Amino acid sequence: MPDEDRRKLLKVAACAIGGGVGAAVAGPVLTFLVAPAGKTTVTGPSAPLDLGPAEEFRAGAEPRRVDIIAPVVQDAWTAARNVVLGAAWIRRTAPDRLLALSSVCPHLGCAVGWDGQMGNFLCPCHDSRFSPTGDKLTGPSERGMDELPIEVKDGRIQLTWVRYKMGQPNRELA
Amino acid sequence: MKAEIRGFLRDRGIFGSTGVSATIAGVSFSHVFGAVLVFLLLLEAVSGIALAAFYAPTSTDAWGSVAYLQDQMTLGWFVRGVHAHGASAMVVVLGLHLVQTAVHGAYRKPREVVWWLGIVLMILILGWAVTGYVLRWDQAGFWANKVEIGIAAATPIVGDWIRRIVLGGNDYGNLTLTRFYALHVLVLPIIVGGVAWTHRALSRKLGVTPLGDRERTPRPRWPEQTLRNAIAIALVFAALIAYVVSAHGVGLAAPADPSLPYDARPLWYFRWLFELRDLSGGAEKIVAMIVPAVVIGGLAALPLLDRGKSREPRKRLPYLGGLAALFGAIAALTVASFAADASDDQLAKRSARAEQRAALARKLARDNGVPASGAADVFWTSPMARARSLFAAKCKSCHDAESKDRKGPVIAPGHGDRSWIRGFLRDPSGDEFWGRTKLAKSEAAMRPFSQMPAADFDGIVELIYSESGARDVDPAKRTRGLEMFENACNDCHSLEDGMPGASAPGLGGLGNRAYYLSFLSNPKSALHMGRDKSQMPRFDRELSLADRDALAEYLVWLRTATPTDLAGLDPY
Repeated sequence: MPDEDRRKLLKVAACAIGGGVGAAVAGPVLTFLVAPAGKTTVTGPSAPLDLGPAEEFRAGAEPRRVDIIAPVVQDAWTAARNVVLGAAWIRRTAPDRLLALSSVCPHLGCAVGWDGQMGNFLCPCHDSRFSPTGDKLTGPSERGMDELPIEVKDGRIQLTWVRYKMGQPNRELA
Repeated sequence: MKAEIRGFLRDRGIFGSTGVSATIAGVSFSHVFGAVLVFLLLLEAVSGIALAAFYAPTSTDAWGSVAYLQDQMTLGWFVRGVHAHGASAMVVVLGLHLVQTAVHGAYRKPREVVWWLGIVLMILILGWAVTGYVLRWDQAGFWANKVEIGIAAATPIVGDWIRRIVLGGNDYGNLTLTRFYALHVLVLPIIVGGVAWTHRALSRKLGVTPLGDRERTPRPRWPEQTLRNAIAIALVFAALIAYVVSAHGVGLAAPADPSLPYDARPLWYFRWLFELRDLSGGAEKIVAMIVPAVVIGGLAALPLLDRGKSREPRKRLPYLGGLAALFGAIAALTVASFAADASDDQLAKRSARAEQRAALARKLARDNGVPASGAADVFWTSPMARARSLFAAKCKSCHDAESKDRKGPVIAPGHGDRSWIRGFLRDPSGDEFWGRTKLAKSEAAMRPFSQMPAADFDGIVELIYSESGARDVDPAKRTRGLEMFENACNDCHSLEDGMPGASAPGLGGLGNRAYYLSFLSNPKSALHMGRDKSQMPRFDRELSLADRDALAEYLVWLRTATPTDLAGLDPY
């Protein structure tokens, strides 16, 4: 074999072996690194949460902020107890009806607060405003505040914690 | 176009430089070891970065995060195995590299500095492995580290300060892990990378040293030597993967527990020192320091001693012989250390127990998660583990059937069920009931039910049984029992919750959780046995409410449990 051809063959062989080893390293490592993306690494509460007596919410009163505390959250390897997941704004809209709005701003996820002077909700990050029923008023948010399923059982509030995707006009589970 | 790009790169010194390093005198498989080590260093870097994306260097979380990536993350066991065993591969190849360099006489003038930098790299890489072993924060890594730091702390004068600086204070804790983590993933990679780069650059500049004195014509490094390097790298990597797969990665013992003895062993490449310490008895700490210093000193002195004209190995036999003797001694000590462990039956038993504990901890971590309070608490996530361990510590000696010092009734699966109540009523002072108590021998002892018609007796049993809150109560029988209670029991006992009887314990809620909690909180209260009738201590001053409640829950569980159920629970 002429020397030139031999060297060419050696070059191809060296590159092939090097590429093979590189792929054998990169494949498993990337699979491992990307694996958490496809898993539920942080679990939320599966059942509705008890938020205390419903009678404390009177008709006509301003909405009240209630912390959402999960009894147990499995966060990767840790099983943590009493973890604060977020908050809900709860208000009695009719004698027999409670309204619960997630405090997570549907725009980019900041915590929405109640502006007592204006009588509506205000997100401090980008000044989105929402009516007391959660409808979008002004600002960059593409939809109104997200309503959370709420019911009263034996006089106590049972609230289901739900997270929706942010930054889009339609409500889609996150 | 292709030529232009090549030209552009070459002019800027990026690609295809010409010069000494482009050729090599003596293309050979004996010159692949440096390239293999570079590959292994890169492999450690890549796998290490991936592991760092999952690892938490805190004393509460470290073990949990390692167990999580090992047991629950796709290919986590593989990447961790490649990282840990890759370090072993690096030590092996390092040894081969050293032997090859010595045989070729490549440490001689003008390459002394390359050799010395190589020795520095060897020490750094061995130390790097030590900083990695502790990060898993399991029994194995924790105790091995304790011994290593203990040796370092024996350094005269500065020893204690070294210990305190490395541990980040007076004892093992969060700061120990953050420090070892910083050393392992930041400090040592930078230092080793820098020294390795210099080592490689100098050796390239000076060229390789062929075997013997014969001159060789230089040939292009690329692709002649490069292909040989690539083949060697592929073979080493294939062997590493085969080992990692066959061993299913690398082990993980139970979470670090300073209270639980463990047979600490260093990583295998330090076993020869471990054995040497063992052999040296009282002088162990001196030996552990002086021997490595002598070995390193001897290696470093080689270029200064071996200065003859010829590089032919057979003309340098005293030096090569000395090196062979050193490696032979290291190998013999290593084999002796493993052989001693293999023939130690007691050690095998302790190791088997430690492995069971590790398997249980990892199963519980997978099923229940690691409590935020720390990985060692993972054992308490097993059902009723707390209660069972409290029972063993506080109740067993007086209440277990096997106990020689039993002073009270036997408490075992089925305690408080119908047949237990039946047996008790027939013979309250029987041996498995109150037979061993002071009360049984006193006037106040309860008299057995012997002449009652079967249907009436069944009624009383059902009534007492119903107090436990069991769901499977026969209401007709219970009603019959209530009538009988009025006649046969009410003079002494009461069935109302929280009410003592006239002269005997109140039976309201007998066998439910609240009852057990109240009873074991203070058995001597008037509601229960009364001041003089019980030898059982009160536990309200000794155990927290949560602990007493856990015991009460366990006692309720025992009523419906079988011995098989009890044996089937995870050990605690």
